[in-house]
Amino acid sequence: MSEISDVLNALNLASYITLVIRYLLPLLAVIIVARCAMSLLRGEYEGEEWGALVLPAGVRVTLAHWENVVGRAKSCDVSLQYPTLSRTHAALIRDARGDWRVYDLKSRGGVSVNGKYAERDGMELKSGDKINFGGVDAVFIASEREDESRIAETRTKPGKLISPTLTLILVTQFQVLLAVALSLAASEFAVAAPLALASVSVAMWFCYALTRAMRRTAFEVETVAFFLSSIGMAVAASSRPDMLDRQLMFLAMGVGLYFAVGWFLRDLNRAKKLRWGVALAGLGLLAVNIVFGGVLFGAKNWLEIGGVSFQPSEFVKIAFAFAGAATLDRLFARRNLIMFVGYAGACLIALALMSDFGTALVFFVAYLVIAFLRSGDFATVLLSVAGAGFAGFLAIQVKTHVASRFASWGHAWEYANTSGGYQQTRTMAAAATGGLFGVGAGNGWLKHIFAADTDMAFGMMCEELGLIVALSAVAAIIVLAVFAARSATIGRSAFYVIGACATIAMLMTQTALNALGSMDILPFTGVTFPFVSRGGSSLVACWGMLAFVKACDTRQNASFTVGLPKRGKRRESEEVDE
Amino acid sequence: MKRVKQRATATLVIALALVLGLGLYVARYMAHGADWAMFAANAALYDNARLTVGTLIDRNGTVLAGFDDDGNRRFAESESVRRATLHVTGDKLGNIGTGALKAFDARLAGYNAVTGAYSRVGRGATVALTIDAELSAVALKALDGRRGAVLVMNYETGELLCAVSSPTFDPENPPTITDGDTRYDGAYLNRGLSSTFTPGSVFKLITSAAAIENIPDIRTRTFTCTGSQTVGGERITCPEKHGELTFKDALAVSCNVAFAELSLELGADTLARYADRAGLLERLSLDGILSAAGRFDEAEADSAELAWSGIGQANDLASPLAMLRYVSAIANGGEAAEPHLLLKTGLSSVLPREKTRLLNEKTASELAELMANNVTAHYGADNFAGLELHAKTGTAEVGVGKPPHAWFVGFIRNEGHPLAFAVIVENGGSGRLAAGGVANSVLKAAIDN
Ligand SMILES: [Zn+2]
Repeated sequence: MSEISDVLNALNLASYITLVIRYLLPLLAVIIVARCAMSLLRGEYEGEEWGALVLPAGVRVTLAHWENVVGRAKSCDVSLQYPTLSRTHAALIRDARGDWRVYDLKSRGGVSVNGKYAERDGMELKSGDKINFGGVDAVFIASEREDESRIAETRTKPGKLISPTLTLILVTQFQVLLAVALSLAASEFAVAAPLALASVSVAMWFCYALTRAMRRTAFEVETVAFFLSSIGMAVAASSRPDMLDRQLMFLAMGVGLYFAVGWFLRDLNRAKKLRWGVALAGLGLLAVNIVFGGVLFGAKNWLEIGGVSFQPSEFVKIAFAFAGAATLDRLFARRNLIMFVGYAGACLIALALMSDFGTALVFFVAYLVIAFLRSGDFATVLLSVAGAGFAGFLAIQVKTHVASRFASWGHAWEYANTSGGYQQTRTMAAAATGGLFGVGAGNGWLKHIFAADTDMAFGMMCEELGLIVALSAVAAIIVLAVFAARSATIGRSAFYVIGACATIAMLMTQTALNALGSMDILPFTGVTFPFVSRGGSSLVACWGMLAFVKACDTRQNASFTVGLPKRGKRRESEEVDE
Repeated sequence: MKRVKQRATATLVIALALVLGLGLYVARYMAHGADWAMFAANAALYDNARLTVGTLIDRNGTVLAGFDDDGNRRFAESESVRRATLHVTGDKLGNIGTGALKAFDARLAGYNAVTGAYSRVGRGATVALTIDAELSAVALKALDGRRGAVLVMNYETGELLCAVSSPTFDPENPPTITDGDTRYDGAYLNRGLSSTFTPGSVFKLITSAAAIENIPDIRTRTFTCTGSQTVGGERITCPEKHGELTFKDALAVSCNVAFAELSLELGADTLARYADRAGLLERLSLDGILSAAGRFDEAEADSAELAWSGIGQANDLASPLAMLRYVSAIANGGEAAEPHLLLKTGLSSVLPREKTRLLNEKTASELAELMANNVTAHYGADNFAGLELHAKTGTAEVGVGKPPHAWFVGFIRNEGHPLAFAVIVENGGSGRLAAGGVANSVLKAAIDN
């Protein structure tokens, strides 16, 4: 008899603990995202100085980027009001080694260095060289290693305003509370869930220690990803506690890919050289998928290798960002642009063949962003024509292949018990049940509906953790986007800016399609929520894409993907590195 | 770089679209969250489309629908209460669509936009009704197995104390009802709300209101009843020869000949306007539970149809709830406190009640006097001792060979018990005897309580 009452008391106690945790999780989530946002957005974004041009009148113009355009237009980095200059006349570009070249951007007056005219693939520049831009003389001065170190020391390092350690402690508390809530929810989670969340925590602190060891002080981008991955682990624990070990393995692979892509991006010369290789590998993956992929869930977008099914299109997103990004000199090359348009077209056709409309939409948005960032005077025309062509192509796809899936869009309740609205109506019912604070991690029922932990991950968050946590997760992605846009102002190379904007556009589109699609505001296309949805490919690829965001972080000592200046004199062909 | 970095800002257009999309979602959630949560496939609240959460209690805390220790749905302890409150509460299977278990499901789930439908132990919320379970049991007993409905309401507050409908059954042991089983004819209907009946002479309260306001010499006029009168080639009859009558007498003895004359004089459109203003023709909302709308057809001038329609016959129909609301307005100076079923507690209980003016104050007070006179002059105040009753009977003819429906509507002026009532006994015969007897028992029980 006393045993029974003990159990009853314990049950009662558990329900009170869950009651309180429900309120603490949203509080922590809001604070964590707010701290990341403040750290990324309120910090100083001081420019760098890589060289200067001394103009005839003795005016000195700083070269604040690795890639600078000289010309008459207002949009040029060095805007000179001389009638003999073309609107965009020349590009001054520094590579990762610190070597400068000048490129003639098909100017009318031409570009010469010390009297020699520049050729098609540019001309080497040394500090003190005299450049003539269509009759306008200037002296080029490259910053010396000492100047770079001196400037580096005066720039603010991130982490001063908002302590990343404290933010991580808060994330750890978030993880602990999730673990407690899950272990109280059901006996099947009691051990697996706390173990999994503890592993996420260990991985997070390990990465933090690693970046600290590399003398990097910024960890906001990774904090956001680990915060989202913790929520993802709770979603996975609730729906498939038996698969948590696999989910952890995927997380480890994702973090690994993050560092690998980050390392790859660190050397711009290397990244530039290999980007078409990566892009083609991506297309190859899609081709293999089309040829060998089995028809699964109506879309041929899965491959099974050694018992693990994976989704090639997720990884092609990384390749797509590589293909779309380019340094400034390439942006003005017609050939480069045509190849990118062709590449995007090939990807979209492949995705259409796989009937993967959601992913195609993600690619299409990334294409639009890249197109907008790249488009020059001539390019605007070509890109908008190609864009319109893709849009038309997608529209036809919608009509013929997936029209039935869209018939219920906006009318999910009228199709509540047919395939058209079954998942959306249940997602809305569960989300409303959760209210602002959720019914407690592991206590939901939506997880029993097909694809709840992937395509309806936003709904599962709403139900179990509440609207506030779910909105915080979306806010975390938006914070990354605002950060990427903001750090573009001190970006060194267009390559990094385009890469970061393209990846963040893809992550946001995924978020929108997942959250709004499952709530019947957008068509329900079965797209994953970045870092939260259960499953390998998506999680691993999201971490890989995150490296692009990290690579555009040129705040001082912020990112491991950006080299620190070395002290002492520069030697020939020495890499700028730690 | 300058152009690239400027254009990078365009990425934020997607962020803005995402924010706007989520804003729309949050707005929709605020507006429709209750509907979403109360979806029958919501496993947190429903099992096979049956609500599994929420406790329903009456005004005194008596449980009308709760749970046993295993979390199964259980109804009131007393069988008589279960039977008497069945139609207000609802049944397990949801056959009674107007039952609180169905109508107030979102409240029972404890739904609100902040905490959703979460409850710590997963049993939802407790909802208190204005119903008095014991009084309902008395009313059902008074109906004594006859089909009908008993409605009692506090006319100052609009609180519905009793809404009994018969035939009924025990929700703990629901019968299997086959088509044509007369014992359970319309057992799933709450007759007080969802049924309309020929009002018969209770409609004379509406015709009287029209006469008071439209016929200047109504108080001095006399009528002569010879037991019948030919109108449009048809005989309008009275049960007996009433002779010389004032208007006051005509209402008390319910003289058809006198009221036929008034109806013809007032005309169809005036009568229709008063029926409409009395709220007889609309679907009333009882905290969102809609009643059935009544009916009044405008007949041709000088026709027998017109005469009958002013006497509550012809095609006239009214729901007991609408009649209750009308006599409540008469009791309350012409303003009806809107009837409701959800007990207001805390702050909301002291807020002003929603009121609708159905009659002007003077007309209401004249009608009240006439209804008092009905009792003292004709029904016998001794039969309703201690009630200070104001009432009107109705004996509605429902076809050849069928006993008429018995109506009794009115109110009492009793310190602390401002109660209005509407009783109908289907095919009960005399309004005063059949329905009046039921009303008498219920009102006495209410006062003694
Ligand atoms: Zn008469």
